Amino acid sequence: MDILFLIMAALALVSGLGVVLFSQPLHSALSLVLNLVVLACLYASLGAHFLAVTQMIVYAGAIMVLVIFVILLLSIHGSEKRPIPKFLFPIAVAGAIGFLWMVVPLLQNSFNEVVPDAAKVGVMDGSVEAFGKVLFTDYVFPFEAASILIMAAIVGSVLLARRSTEGGK
Amino acid sequence: MATIQGYLVLSALLFTIGALGVVMRRNTIVMFMCIELMLNAVNLSFVAFSKMHGGMEGQVAVFFVMVVAAAEAAVGLGIIISVFRAIQSVETTDSGELRL
Repeated sequence: MDILFLIMAALALVSGLGVVLFSQPLHSALSLVLNLVVLACLYASLGAHFLAVTQMIVYAGAIMVLVIFVILLLSIHGSEKRPIPKFLFPIAVAGAIGFLWMVVPLLQNSFNEVVPDAAKVGVMDGSVEAFGKVLFTDYVFPFEAASILIMAAIVGSVLLARRSTEGGK
Repeated sequence: MATIQGYLVLSALLFTIGALGVVMRRNTIVMFMCIELMLNAVNLSFVAFSKMHGGMEGQVAVFFVMVVAAAEAAVGLGIIISVFRAIQSVETTDSGELRL
């Protein structure tokens, strides 16, 4: 096995568990940032360089800054005051194991294709040029639709988060 | 050598962790972050499949998932803030009555 892949996979799993298990939401958020950065490295090891950079800028940069900003703005700290009952924990974990038991055997026989070593992957695979060619020819309509979606999201979030001005303050 | 299978198993594990988080936590912001975790797990499998088939379609799908996630973050956090303003809490147990 590629040692780089194993290190990144272990980091991704540990930081993913950290998101769920940390009781402080801020610690969860920082753990998620680590997870997103490791996933960007995994994208790069698969040759998707443009996506790796986009992941760093959009996810680890913009989205997580927004999340951490909201956590600090509302000053949410400490664990939940009313967490889910303890007896539900084993049921949830059993459900998760059942899900893995269904999915992982499906992956066992096919998909044995070998990915080149993460350290020496080609540059041209997921370059901006190749990506842009596909995005602006075959997927130009979804691209334009995405801009409308973002516009609607901006207007919607401003409407949702603003203080109502009718009753004075 | 890492195989595509390794990436797919990692993706399944991350998705399961995210789903567990959504089920086991009551803090809406943590649940939101777990949803992001699940989206990213699926993105990883998209990129792995794209590598396997040698096309760009999987990577374009990941790009659009990122777009939708950004829109979702803006609207979702807006909703969390306005709910917090109404009931002074971000826990799902406190907004169980679905009215303000």
